[in-house]
Amino acid sequence: MKVGLSWDLGGDEPAATQWHRVIGEIERGDALGFDSAWVAEGKTGQAGCAQPAVFMTFAARRTKSIHCRALARSVAGEFPVRLAEEITLLDQFSHGRGGVAYAPASRQKVDPLMVHETIEFIRGAWATNEVRYRGKYVRFPTHTPDDAPAGLSYPAWTGEYLPQWEWGATRTTADFLALTPKPVSTHLPVYVAIDDDETLEWAARNGVSPYAGVNLTTAEAIERLARYRAIADGCGRHSYEVEAVLERNVAIDGASDAHTFGGSAHDITCAIRAAAAATRIGHFVWRYRDAAPNDLERFANEVQTRLQA
Amino acid sequence: MEFWTSFAGQFVLRGLPGAVPQNYDTLVATAVEAERLGFDGVVASEHHFEYNRFLPFPLQALGAAAAATSKIRLITGAMLLPLYDPIRAAEAAATVDILSGGRVTLGLGMGYRPMEFDGIGTAKNTRGARLSEQMEIIRLATSQERFSFQGKHYEYKDQQLSPRPLQRPIDMWFCGGTSRVGAQRAAAGGFDYWLANSDYDRTKEIVDIYLGLAREAGRPAERLRYALFRDVFVGDTLAEARDARDWFLEVYYNEHIRCYGYLMDDKGEPLFNPPFDHPAYVAFVDSLLCGTPDMVVTELKRFEQLGVHSITVPPVQLELFSNKVLPEFRK
Repeated sequence: MKVGLSWDLGGDEPAATQWHRVIGEIERGDALGFDSAWVAEGKTGQAGCAQPAVFMTFAARRTKSIHCRALARSVAGEFPVRLAEEITLLDQFSHGRGGVAYAPASRQKVDPLMVHETIEFIRGAWATNEVRYRGKYVRFPTHTPDDAPAGLSYPAWTGEYLPQWEWGATRTTADFLALTPKPVSTHLPVYVAIDDDETLEWAARNGVSPYAGVNLTTAEAIERLARYRAIADGCGRHSYEVEAVLERNVAIDGASDAHTFGGSAHDITCAIRAAAAATRIGHFVWRYRDAAPNDLERFANEVQTRLQA
Repeated sequence: MEFWTSFAGQFVLRGLPGAVPQNYDTLVATAVEAERLGFDGVVASEHHFEYNRFLPFPLQALGAAAAATSKIRLITGAMLLPLYDPIRAAEAAATVDILSGGRVTLGLGMGYRPMEFDGIGTAKNTRGARLSEQMEIIRLATSQERFSFQGKHYEYKDQQLSPRPLQRPIDMWFCGGTSRVGAQRAAAGGFDYWLANSDYDRTKEIVDIYLGLAREAGRPAERLRYALFRDVFVGDTLAEARDARDWFLEVYYNEHIRCYGYLMDDKGEPLFNPPFDHPAYVAFVDSLLCGTPDMVVTELKRFEQLGVHSITVPPVQLELFSNKVLPEFRK
């Protein structure tokens, strides 16, 4: 079981103060052996982190091992090429520790199909060389014709090849383009929040990892993750193709509630193990806030150890 | 006069193959080294879909460089703003500004490669007008608590940027080649103007045009700054300096500048892959400054006297430049 930490930045505290404290917490998490750090996109308050991939690129250069992931990333109002490029750069600057979880369509107030097309385009463009995409919301390159095949399509070999520096004035662009650079790993971790039924089903059928966020109650999260797994199993997809993530608040020696695993280290371990047995999650993420000074160390020493033992 | 350097490692040089992560390590190391050597700023550029894996998002690279440095200014030049949503660009700039302690400078250009506009999905033919509007939007968004903007291409009503950068407004330059049109756009918007490679006479001519047009537009010309990309190659002899230039042409400019539509013919049409002896490319090569340290210092002093705020040099001879040229400007 992998364990991670997540943050939702914002509020009235000055960004410079809050952000550098969080960078320090990520560095401590790295030193204590946490597997991942996730910072959520947010656009409220003076400390909201609108560009989590940029934030995490800074964090990546201050850490050695922890995976650096952009969380709750919106696709609404974004250029899909830029979304692909920012995660590529995060992955490259972190030497293969990048990743992203996209926000649910309902929170972005967009058609779920926009989220699905964007993820499909990004993964397809990372995995292949020249490519084009025709969807309802995504079209790459822009001049891709209406009669191009739906979704991803690839060039046929015509017997002609010109490197791009020789294209000249008569062929200044191309019907198929390659995204460059590419991520370190072709199948860089891509997750999507499964708050929306359409996205849950699409992700399960298409091998996109599910992220059950802290906004869902534990009962909702487990039900949705279990439903995801059942659909995926029904399609013949193996659980090792994806990594299911459950995010919760953690209250060491505190009380549990609908969004929080509380109690002793043993209690918290049992809650995570029970959720894993019901859903096959491989990654537990602690939404980190209002923790006591030594809680990170206690989690690493007591909970993380028990999760492996 | 300040001295800035471009980043090494923004792409894989022809003839010097290497892995991208190592290149990006070099990029961050350039910032560390430039800071140590006394440079004032380090400059990241932007291109897309280029086979050499050119850096596509300079602000993100500056975020990486910010984590390893403490003083040096972190600069985009040129960041191709018409290929962005202006608010997203402002958010990214604010993010790096906060993380770096207020060290971000934006050098913003309009772009010129058709495949970049086609691939990302913005119109090329409106890029000039959109760049001017976008820069005004960023100026408003980063200086005011809430802002509204009504333009031909963009419209915002009572918006608030989140997060807010430390600099209000964020430091910003218009990168506009060396043409009257570029000077005109920069002057009309009251933007500081960052010129492309050009010799002293051409620089003076354009600066005079820029300041004159700014006065005509009612802009405070005395407060406007102008900067220059000035590719400088230093050697113990002129021949050595030219060897350094020729190497850089071979691994970079012969293709990067010559092949993708950066140069214009005498009718103002972009040139793609013209012959090496085409007058536009010959003029570009001639605009690169080669010399012994004394020759380079003498020439750059003229730019200092012209009031140039900063000179951006390529990252190929930083130690030499720092030892032999910079001290003459720090006295």
